[in-house]
Amino acid sequence: MKREAFFDRVRNAVRSAQRYRVNVQQFADRPPRSVQGGDLAARLAQEITAVGGTAHVAEDLDDARRYARGLFAENNVQRALCWQHSALEELRIDELLDEADVTAIDHATLAGLPREAQRREMLAADLGITGVDFAVAETGSLLLAAAAGRERVASLVPPVHLAIVRCQQIVADLFDAFERFDPRALPSNLTFITGPSKTGDIELQLTTGVHGPGAWHVLVVP
Amino acid sequence: MVDYRRQEHHEFLQAAAQAMADEPLQSALTRLGDTLGPRNRAAYAALAESDELRERARAIKNATLLELDRHLQDLQASVERHGGNVHFASDGEDACRIIGEILDAAGARRVVKSKSMTTEEIHLNRYLEERDFDVTETDFGEFIIQVAGQRPSHLVAPAVHLRVDEVARILESDAGHPLPSEPQQLAAFARRRLRDRFAAADAGITGANFGIAETGSIVLVSNEGNARLTVSLPRVHIAVMGMEKVIPRWEHLPVFLKVLARAATGQKMSVYTSIVNGPRREGELDGAEAFHLVILDNGRSRILGGPLRESLFCIRCGACLNACPIYRNVGGHAYGGVYAGPIGAVLTPLYDGLKANHHLPHASSLCGACQAACPVKIAIPELLVRLREQLETNKSQSWIERTAYSTWARMMRSAGLYRLATWLATRTLGRLYRRSRWISRLPGLSGWTGARDFPAPAPERFRDWWRREGNA
Repeated sequence: MKREAFFDRVRNAVRSAQRYRVNVQQFADRPPRSVQGGDLAARLAQEITAVGGTAHVAEDLDDARRYARGLFAENNVQRALCWQHSALEELRIDELLDEADVTAIDHATLAGLPREAQRREMLAADLGITGVDFAVAETGSLLLAAAAGRERVASLVPPVHLAIVRCQQIVADLFDAFERFDPRALPSNLTFITGPSKTGDIELQLTTGVHGPGAWHVLVVP
Repeated sequence: MVDYRRQEHHEFLQAAAQAMADEPLQSALTRLGDTLGPRNRAAYAALAESDELRERARAIKNATLLELDRHLQDLQASVERHGGNVHFASDGEDACRIIGEILDAAGARRVVKSKSMTTEEIHLNRYLEERDFDVTETDFGEFIIQVAGQRPSHLVAPAVHLRVDEVARILESDAGHPLPSEPQQLAAFARRRLRDRFAAADAGITGANFGIAETGSIVLVSNEGNARLTVSLPRVHIAVMGMEKVIPRWEHLPVFLKVLARAATGQKMSVYTSIVNGPRREGELDGAEAFHLVILDNGRSRILGGPLRESLFCIRCGACLNACPIYRNVGGHAYGGVYAGPIGAVLTPLYDGLKANHHLPHASSLCGACQAACPVKIAIPELLVRLREQLETNKSQSWIERTAYSTWARMMRSAGLYRLATWLATRTLGRLYRRSRWISRLPGLSGWTGARDFPAPAPERFRDWWRREGNA
């Protein structure tokens, strides 16, 4: 009944609204793309740097592994929250973590724990390692879809986030990223990440890491 | 003195005068105008098709509102397909009650919130606190404001009116120990403090920047990541959305995303854009287990059916505030409503009554900077003029005003009378003020001349000058 009253009001308003014209243009075609081609990895790296992230375009897998190893040491990482993702497997991230004496926490570790313990483990990590679904060269954004084994908190809760992007996952324009998804079959959560966590809430001074990671590393692998 | 940082609906002129004498506020407003205003213009300028995208966003908003009932039905069906629940609230009281019931049914007492103007609009925090819920605002600026017991003064930078040392003193009252007057360290304190709240929270409440009818998605845009934490950690997620925030299709979202952050802060994209499609699915370890969408009318249908329906295009970016010479002098609190600045001067009279807010449509020089900054190009000056018109038609005029306007109308309709009047004006006032060209005092018009000079007529009529120059 309440819902019907609500919709009655909206329908009446819509009818009445037709009487008042608002000037708008009409568009029949697709909106224009901002970026179409070129060296997408270079553009992505440039945009990521511009928003305060660190981008490394690796020459090969060895170079990528060296970068990851350096990152673990530099940040004195103890506990890493990891996605179960082929990009991590390809780099043999688990070996690197093992070598560096870092405890790896992933879906398999967490799934068996009771809720409170799960939350504690997630909140205790000091590094999150994820893959991505797409990267957008135009804006320097990474697009991460949630799934079992691809926890949302990995890119959010630890102070440092390392994302591994494969070259062929880079699309030129934001519109291209949206076109890659079937609107009828979206995952439970999709997040675009464009930079380290930021705020300007005090005197508009840029402050990083207020809630999400203050350090954002994007490793582009061939 | 009114405590205009806490109270609503005070006398605009009095609050504005207080604000203009408030030095820390004035330096904060200067900084705001000098930073965010130019960033918005530079961001539009750097994107060749920004103008077209803004027109497209505007066209989508218009078409959506003209079939709003259908799109809201689709949105409901899509959210339910994901296993979410949809509630319809006709006003703020209704929405608060619905949210309270959802929390009670879920046995949730500890609530974290991410910044939402819609929940400010319905005074949700007051409602929940009165019922002993433990409510924490988690946006850094909103957290400061909540601890201080104030109202937000800007759509996207709620604590912009406070200086760093004022923020430190406010947060000390929450910390119970001294804090340094340094933004990065204060942010680190807030991170620790709010992490504990997130870890313990039963429910998360957010607004919604967009709702997509086709997919049942709720879109949350933020820079800090608190909106993501709010929907990822607690077991219940309640999103409160003004009904005008629905967009029909998936492909429409990037059009808005491309202009929203550019307008708000000059960023190409805000740091986090989350698209929430119902509760978590089988096997997932984070994300809320229950999802509720509360769709709010609260006066919007009244506005939709009227001549000012364009105000419903607003996507709450704050660009018009940063651009406005009035906002940049008086700040957000002076406006007295939940929404400040040029769009607030339109929305507050519409939502809360024109008579009670009669100063607001006049709190504008009609310079058009707001419209130029707006990502959906709302004709704010035109809407303000319409509100002024409504104010005048509801008012009984004095005989002086009536006589003046009817004489003016008669003169403008007759070429002979017009010629005579201009001849008289140039011979009298024009000659008298030949040198200064400005009249600083006019009997009966001190309301005007008290604050600014009146331009004197030219000493010679244009038609006389034209003839004299031999052009006739």
